[in-house]
Amino acid sequence: MSETGIIVDIQRFSIHDGPGIRTTVFLKGCPLNCKWCHNPEAINYNIQLSFNREKCLDCFKCISVCPSSVHFERAGKHEVNFSECNLSGRCLTVCPNKALTLTGKVRTVDKIIELILRDKDYYNNSGGGVTISGGEPMTQFQFTKQILKACKENEIHTTLDTCGHAPSDRYLDIMPYVDLFLYDFKESDFQKHKEYTGVYNDLIQKNFNLLYDNGAKIILRCPIVPGFNDTEKHFHAISDIYRKFTKLHGIEIMPYHNIGLDKARKIGAEQNFISVDTTDKVKSREWISALTKYGIKNIKLG
Amino acid sequence: MKDYSKELKITEVYKTYITAHPAIKEAMVLKAEFPAYFTPLQDGDLFAGRLQQGKVGFTIDEWGPTAFAYYCQFEDIQNDLETYNYPTDEKTKIEEMLKFWESEDTSNKIRKEYPPLMAQYLFSDDWMNTSGIAFPLYRLTGSTPNFKKLLDLGIPGIYKEIEELKATAQDDGRDVQFYEGMKIAIDVLVDTCLYYEKEIRFLSEISTIEEKKEELDKIADTLHIITISKPCTLREAIQLFWIYTYVADVRNYGRMDIYMGDFLVNDINAGIIDEDEALKYLQSLWQLMADRNTVVHNRVIIGGKSRPNEENADRFALLAMEATRTVKEIEPQLSLRIYEGMNPALYEKALDVIGGGATYPILYNDDININSINNAFGFSIKETERYFTPYGCGEYILEGRSFGTPSGVINLLKALEVTLRNGVDPVTGNIIGLQLGNLEDFHSFDDLMNAYKKQVEFFVSILAEQEVLEYKVCGREAPFLYNSLLYDDCMVKGKGMFDGGIKYLGGTLETYGNTNTADSLTAIKELVYEKNLISKKELLDALDNNFSGYENIQHILLNAPKYGNDNDVADSMLEKVHNHVCNFVRNQAERVGLHSYLVVIINNSANTLMGKSTSASPDGRNAFEHMNNGNAPSGGNDKEGITAMLNSLVKPSSAIHAGSVQNMKFSPELFFERRDIIKSLLKTYFDKGGAQAMITVLNRGDLEKALVEPEKYRNLFVRVGGFSARFIELSTEVQKDILKRTLY
Repeated sequence: MSETGIIVDIQRFSIHDGPGIRTTVFLKGCPLNCKWCHNPEAINYNIQLSFNREKCLDCFKCISVCPSSVHFERAGKHEVNFSECNLSGRCLTVCPNKALTLTGKVRTVDKIIELILRDKDYYNNSGGGVTISGGEPMTQFQFTKQILKACKENEIHTTLDTCGHAPSDRYLDIMPYVDLFLYDFKESDFQKHKEYTGVYNDLIQKNFNLLYDNGAKIILRCPIVPGFNDTEKHFHAISDIYRKFTKLHGIEIMPYHNIGLDKARKIGAEQNFISVDTTDKVKSREWISALTKYGIKNIKLG
Repeated sequence: MKDYSKELKITEVYKTYITAHPAIKEAMVLKAEFPAYFTPLQDGDLFAGRLQQGKVGFTIDEWGPTAFAYYCQFEDIQNDLETYNYPTDEKTKIEEMLKFWESEDTSNKIRKEYPPLMAQYLFSDDWMNTSGIAFPLYRLTGSTPNFKKLLDLGIPGIYKEIEELKATAQDDGRDVQFYEGMKIAIDVLVDTCLYYEKEIRFLSEISTIEEKKEELDKIADTLHIITISKPCTLREAIQLFWIYTYVADVRNYGRMDIYMGDFLVNDINAGIIDEDEALKYLQSLWQLMADRNTVVHNRVIIGGKSRPNEENADRFALLAMEATRTVKEIEPQLSLRIYEGMNPALYEKALDVIGGGATYPILYNDDININSINNAFGFSIKETERYFTPYGCGEYILEGRSFGTPSGVINLLKALEVTLRNGVDPVTGNIIGLQLGNLEDFHSFDDLMNAYKKQVEFFVSILAEQEVLEYKVCGREAPFLYNSLLYDDCMVKGKGMFDGGIKYLGGTLETYGNTNTADSLTAIKELVYEKNLISKKELLDALDNNFSGYENIQHILLNAPKYGNDNDVADSMLEKVHNHVCNFVRNQAERVGLHSYLVVIINNSANTLMGKSTSASPDGRNAFEHMNNGNAPSGGNDKEGITAMLNSLVKPSSAIHAGSVQNMKFSPELFFERRDIIKSLLKTYFDKGGAQAMITVLNRGDLEKALVEPEKYRNLFVRVGGFSARFIELSTEVQKDILKRTLY
């Protein structure tokens, strides 16, 4: 029996998280609580009930089978009290339109590797591979490490998408199995980092230095969120990193997208997140030219 | 009010020669048809050749569901008689004509020769509007003759060949009359050229614009030259080719870069034309093809292994793709044969043209297809490499050597539907299939599977016999002169292609609903027989009620594994269904006496039309909805991403059938901004056994907008299956089917 973990999903033909054609495994659980999180369903460490309002037929079949009074009716509409759910799973079996589902599933490393191997030819021909993302994959450390290790045994390129907030020894431990780190740089200001993400950035910076000094291949990924970190000061900080860490493999900016909000709604967590408009292409280009002005070359849109 | 004088004339000629030798009869009918059915040059045409086919005539292809060989379009004519007030004597003549053709129309002759069992089970010829398992198709479609021979010899060379073979015919025991008919046919071809020449000279005379006059004179000169000399320039080659395609009613053109490439390069080297001028020729030819509006034909093949003049052919191929990119029409169906080691410029150009929204060229993978075709048909590798060409909706054939008209369709899902209900069609209540019990009588899944197989085999056997009967009647009726002239070994044998002349006479059978059938069997196996989640009775009740009141059951059925997700359970069932029907069909060839008899999993809108008479199915599909398209997963059921879908697509063997089509849709963002990704994706797919790819690049948003404001989206092309179409001209059902298919 191989190591098990909780994943949100596995995305095949993933082309935005690392080079080439990849399979990205999204793990559940994250120590941060970024206000702009685009995968809010991956923050909680456990399997969660998910309710898609648009699909609901208001048939209320779920009410009678639920042992914990999660489902109730208000003004003819089906509503959900998420905090009461203890995952009996009974409502799922009676929901006629799949409005009720579970987010998160338990998988073994073997099962994941079996799926990963199915697209190996695509990785080889495109310079792609496997990306572990989340959530924060370092929180399910052994699981993540086993997947990466198995990938390397099968000569598959590996990428780890991390926020950097994990014990430093784990990064040193996992480094041999990671060909490329996608390393987040969310906010340069110490206090604001805490405000926006729930944690201070000292550990994140420390781990970054540690990986860099040990020769890890790193692409810095900077989410830019209008009204939060699209500031002169932050852009300046990004350019400082660019100048100081000359061996960085690249810098990508990730313009804010409000796709996360809809996913948050399904797990009853929308109140935890900001609601601003998705960045348009004009705005993204402005940011790129601003950063270019600071001397950063070859900046990419992630 | 339609004028029927030409049809009446043709009928008179037919009557006169009714007892004559078939070659003479055909030649005289052709003479009555041409140039009469040709229509004038249109503004901008650089080549002569437009046609308004009449309601009575002769064709190797089809002018309607049962209008082929000697045909009469009874319904159309009847409608005209009811709609318009024809003078009494004319009306009488037309009515007499209709009566005469009742017994002479080739389809009617075939139908009349059906043995009782065939007549009982192939009870209707109207597959588009009738609920049934299997239907015959009346046509000899897909002819792709040896145009290289036509252009190498020209009219004088061909005439000489006929004369020579005729001179020795008697001594060698060959049919002299066959060659006599050929001679008349060539005269008709010459007459047609000269008719157009005269018309165009007249146009030139009355034209006041010097430039136009000059252009018209060139067209007229060309028409004249080709009647007395073999073609020496690209212009002459295209002109002869194009007129020939009409008199022969050939709608598929084979490896054009081989037979046109040398003309192109010689002209350019000799300074006769430059590439711009050559492009204008092709643009005009492409427009003529588009206006021919064959819906499913007009195949032009470029690229591929074994082209004797590769460099010249490549140059032509690049120009052909540029013509497709600039003419922006839904035909011709330009198809590129690709292989490892080909000229990379061709592949790049192909992706550019596809990315521009053309849906062309369709890509065919030589590295897989050559071996597959070889295995399926039993040709030699060398022969396949040189002569293989897809035609129509995607059936394979050897140009100038083999024939394989699809003369039947089978709805596999309907076969399963009827097998679940002891032979009864739930749509009509009639017994239309073998009575082998109903679902509740099948104690194991294997019992059900065996019954389904038996049902399919029964109909396939009948269809195979029907195909042979169709050839037999056609072979007796006519030698199909223009086609036999360019098909091995008709000339040397002195026989028509369906009368023992052709080298390889094969047949094909179109199967529909393959994926829905497999997914239905998967669902029944897993949910009814293995997990006991649904009882047999519940399932039948749910299907009979189109899931109304049984939404839970539909939900469970929809969640059963589905083909297209790289899921071994679902994919292996598809392979079982695929292998069964392909192999059983293939094994009929020897029994019925054909060189080959093979399945084609091509598509047109038959998946939608036949779906309309197919009730709810155990894969969770609602009654009367479209069935899956071609080899594809059923609409929207591929949920694991394109690599998973492609992995599924390459699982069913391509070496046991005569062609299948794979539609893929990509967004412009992916196609243009990530060309590297697209290239490695396609490369991997082709490496893994992908035989073919038809790629549409568009936004789902565009499609949705096109539904609302059609006039703004005239040029939005989509692949329907075996052919392309303007999105806005499709029926709402087909549009919905396309919207439902996954966009990557």
